[in-house]
Amino acid sequence: MPGAIDYSRITIVPDFDTAEWWMGTKQHKYLVRQCKSCGHKWFPPFPACSKCTSMDLTWFETAGKGVIHSYVVVTQPILSAFIETVPYVVALIELDDCHEADGALVRVAGVLLDDEEAVAMGLPVEVVFEETKEPNIVIPRWKICGTAENTWKFTE
Amino acid sequence: MGNLTDKYCVVGVGETPHMRPSNRTTLSMACEAVKKAMANAGLEPRDIDGMTSYQAGDSTTSNHVATSLGIRLNYSLDIFGGGSSTEALIAHAVGLLEGGYCKTIVIFRSMNGRSGRRMGGQAPSGPVPPTQAAGDQQFYMHWGWTTPAQWFGMSAMRYLRDTGATTKTFAEVAVAHRYHASLNPKAIMRAPITIEDHQRSRWVSKPLRLLDCCLETDVSAALIITSRERAFDLKQPPVFIMGGTARTMAPSPSWNYSRPEIHYVAGNYGRNRLFGMAGISQKDVDIISCYDAFTFTTTIQLEAYGFCGKGEAKDFVKGGRLQIDHELPSNLSGGHLSEGYTHGISMVIENVRQLRHRADDACPRWAEGIHTYDRKAGCRQVKKARIAACLGWGTEATSSSAILRGIIG
Ligand SMILES: [Zn+2]
Repeated sequence: MPGAIDYSRITIVPDFDTAEWWMGTKQHKYLVRQCKSCGHKWFPPFPACSKCTSMDLTWFETAGKGVIHSYVVVTQPILSAFIETVPYVVALIELDDCHEADGALVRVAGVLLDDEEAVAMGLPVEVVFEETKEPNIVIPRWKICGTAENTWKFTE
Repeated sequence: MGNLTDKYCVVGVGETPHMRPSNRTTLSMACEAVKKAMANAGLEPRDIDGMTSYQAGDSTTSNHVATSLGIRLNYSLDIFGGGSSTEALIAHAVGLLEGGYCKTIVIFRSMNGRSGRRMGGQAPSGPVPPTQAAGDQQFYMHWGWTTPAQWFGMSAMRYLRDTGATTKTFAEVAVAHRYHASLNPKAIMRAPITIEDHQRSRWVSKPLRLLDCCLETDVSAALIITSRERAFDLKQPPVFIMGGTARTMAPSPSWNYSRPEIHYVAGNYGRNRLFGMAGISQKDVDIISCYDAFTFTTTIQLEAYGFCGKGEAKDFVKGGRLQIDHELPSNLSGGHLSEGYTHGISMVIENVRQLRHRADDACPRWAEGIHTYDRKAGCRQVKKARIAACLGWGTEATSSSAILRGIIG
């Protein structure tokens, strides 16, 4: 398991577009933006719908489950918050419940709770909400929650 | 660009040495680069009336440079940007010149990329303050996903899976560009490397190794653009601008989050327009500059711009085909991986020198365009290089590109 992340070394600055998203993580909800006009979903929560330009928006609460689409293994800590964490895996996750009829989909990312040895593309993951010392900031992380066929793993 | 093709030319180029650290201001370096570009063209400050530059909150401005050098501008603009900016500003300059806004335009980039603000990092020294994650950073930083090597590593990893390429594919790019740097007296890293050297270098962000990553560099570089009529009165053989594109976005603006294929990049959307404007095909191109922030960005752009098919770069780059005297020489100065990292501009400058037949190398008479073509003796001029494709890259979602043509060879 990767070492702890020192979240006290990162100050999150929520803004007009994102404050409600951070409220969501505090309540252990993983939210993505949704258009009230056409139903399109996206992430991060940009303030307009890229399909119909509507700015009349709502939030969709995802089940917080998805599949690893890609990943990187960070071996060199760049930010001080991650000095104890390396090596760690950042995964790009395709959410299960955001697929649209025309092929549009939503991906999110996050630090895996699992090690490099466990990770592979195609594996199912679920969200885990991690409390930080800052009472208003809860960070979503991800953990592998099953097996799958046709996975792909990086080898040298 | 259609009817503007070949109407405007690059006429002057110049740069400071690649330094780490420079111990200079970005203003001081920019003044030197612009002065050298003016001298290269045979122009005086009074001849310049337009200036543009790009930066990421890490540089001086056009007005500061112009004021320092006694240049009176009719038009200036400093845009936010990195690797997808040089070619964008070249196309922009063509529009300004055609519209009569000015007659001769300088484009520059000046940065202390090593000793100043580093990409994705924190302050270079002293106690480390908590990092502020605002704006887009809210959705990268707390995930420990902050540097270009970490962002692009994500696409690189999926690319390996989808195409069957291996990190040896990336190594081929590193070896070719380093070989070119070994012929370039200005390059920071000149010792030739092998595939094995690449495979032994340490990980930065898997699947990217140290030798997959560009150099952080303190440098300034400038180029000057004017009309073909004026160009023929100046000191150097003109280099014509055949076409350009800027920041051709994929339909979805967010980088990795919702695009169907994360290694399908902006160049895929720009290439038909680029070659259409220039009225040529990929086969007509003699040399390229291919934005090598990482080895992998070159590989992917060869496919995006149609020099080979999707997923075919793994065969295309094999056996040194990106090297001088082979199929498609890429980054003849050594590029960002080996010469120094200038956010794209110095690679365009190298192409200009190649198209003039005046690559500044170990040949004693290069300034007159007389080359030996003896690679062992340090000549890096490509014989009969007439057309260069300059392929810029900002992120997977932004690119800019230009095609240049020389009259020699
Ligand atoms: Zn909509």
